[in-house]
Amino acid sequence: MRILGIESSCDETAAAVVEDGTRILSSVVASQLETHGKYGGVVPELASREHLRAIVPVVRAALEQAGTDYADLAAIAVTAGPGLVGALLVGITYAKALCFARELPLVGVNHIEGHIHAVISQALREGRPIEYPALALVVSGGHTHLFEVNGESRYRLLGKTRDDAAGEAFDKVAKLLGFGYPGGPVIDKLAPYGNPRAVRFTLAKMKGNPLDFSFSGLKTAVLRWFQSRDMAEEVERRRELLRANPRPRVEEWLAVTPQATRDVLASFQRTVIEELLRRAASAAESIGARALIVSGGVACNTGLRAAAEEARFPFPVHFPLPALSTDNAAMIAAAAFPKLKRGQLDDFTLPARANLTLAD
Amino acid sequence: MRVFETYSEDETIAVGEEIGRGLPSHALILLIGNLGAGKTTLAKGIVKGLGAAAPEEVSSPTFTLIHEYGDRVYHVDLYRIDEEREVRSLGLDELLDRDAVILVEWGERFPNLWPPNRIEIRLEAIDDTRRITVTPA
Repeated sequence: MRILGIESSCDETAAAVVEDGTRILSSVVASQLETHGKYGGVVPELASREHLRAIVPVVRAALEQAGTDYADLAAIAVTAGPGLVGALLVGITYAKALCFARELPLVGVNHIEGHIHAVISQALREGRPIEYPALALVVSGGHTHLFEVNGESRYRLLGKTRDDAAGEAFDKVAKLLGFGYPGGPVIDKLAPYGNPRAVRFTLAKMKGNPLDFSFSGLKTAVLRWFQSRDMAEEVERRRELLRANPRPRVEEWLAVTPQATRDVLASFQRTVIEELLRRAASAAESIGARALIVSGGVACNTGLRAAAEEARFPFPVHFPLPALSTDNAAMIAAAAFPKLKRGQLDDFTLPARANLTLAD
Repeated sequence: MRVFETYSEDETIAVGEEIGRGLPSHALILLIGNLGAGKTTLAKGIVKGLGAAAPEEVSSPTFTLIHEYGDRVYHVDLYRIDEEREVRSLGLDELLDRDAVILVEWGERFPNLWPPNRIEIRLEAIDDTRRITVTPA
């Protein structure tokens, strides 16, 4: 059964064809398309207008690359939320129109459920299926959530960020220090060159749910470290580098990044990772988890991957391939497969829901 | 003009709550202050004061750009947007026409976009103290 997935909840316009929930026949993300090459692939696909421009060629490319015709499809899956209403509506409206014209079933998918299924599907593909209950840590620029996952469709929210998402903290610290925005990947590349124990960032104690996250205070702590030093010249050197070359190599970054700054990057990254894994560990223990799923853009972070391995959890830890960590449509098509099997379909009244929750 | 000083996150939320309770149903509020000044924290209080959501439900919209709390409160963050053209394509005009309270972080970077009848709240962080200035009262 082939499902066409469509994703347009935030920055990326994406489409993919996935067979039986596991075999990815194609996965196209607009910012990777040739037409965007001249912008260096960093086009801010912010608004519905950008999605509108991209949706038709992206869907067409996904079908072509998969060697699939509409007649071969069992259903069309689309992200229904959470996200920007204007952006979501582009994908939803296009999916509905295709379903109407081709008499295909429509399946609405929660974006966060998609991130979880990116991993469930990959684990099936690799022949080591997830055992349940599993703990899912969904961590990206927009989300930092812990869910209990029971089977392919039952979720319980255990904790989430009270303020900034983890990926957002990475991006804001990078921008503050002159590494551009978004800068999560830059910090990850430079962190190994610094001492992760050089700076101690203490995290505020929180009242309420002990499984909730907070990264705003850490961001402020880095800001104070920055303000207590005269770093204007150093930051300006990095901005200059960035103006001359939007994608500097590690050696180029290192040339304009003194040891003290490398240390603060490494310490910051260590603090975020420890925070994520500490709460994930205690959440996993509280539900008797038999697997840990890590997904979302921050799952690309090599420091997080290494630390999760070193933590020697008493259960397997599953990370998605980098291309499936960040927003994509293969995860949407994969998440739709069990819904389609259960006959859990949507009709043409499917709304775009900015605040769609996966579980309360 | 009203000025508040707070010494903790809880106090900032309490001030936000007080501001929120006094707001009309249709209002545009620019939250102005540097990184870490407490804009999102104050927004938590305002959303609570408006009776739209609990403070724990209010998180930073930096990546997602707009968070909605019910259909009467919108929390917008323009941090990662560089051009006015991009802001315009977000459909904020339509939001501003609604009978709703619109909270905007980093909106002062796009001065041409906002109607004159708006409320500006400036936040300054001096060590652990936050000074919060509301204009007009």
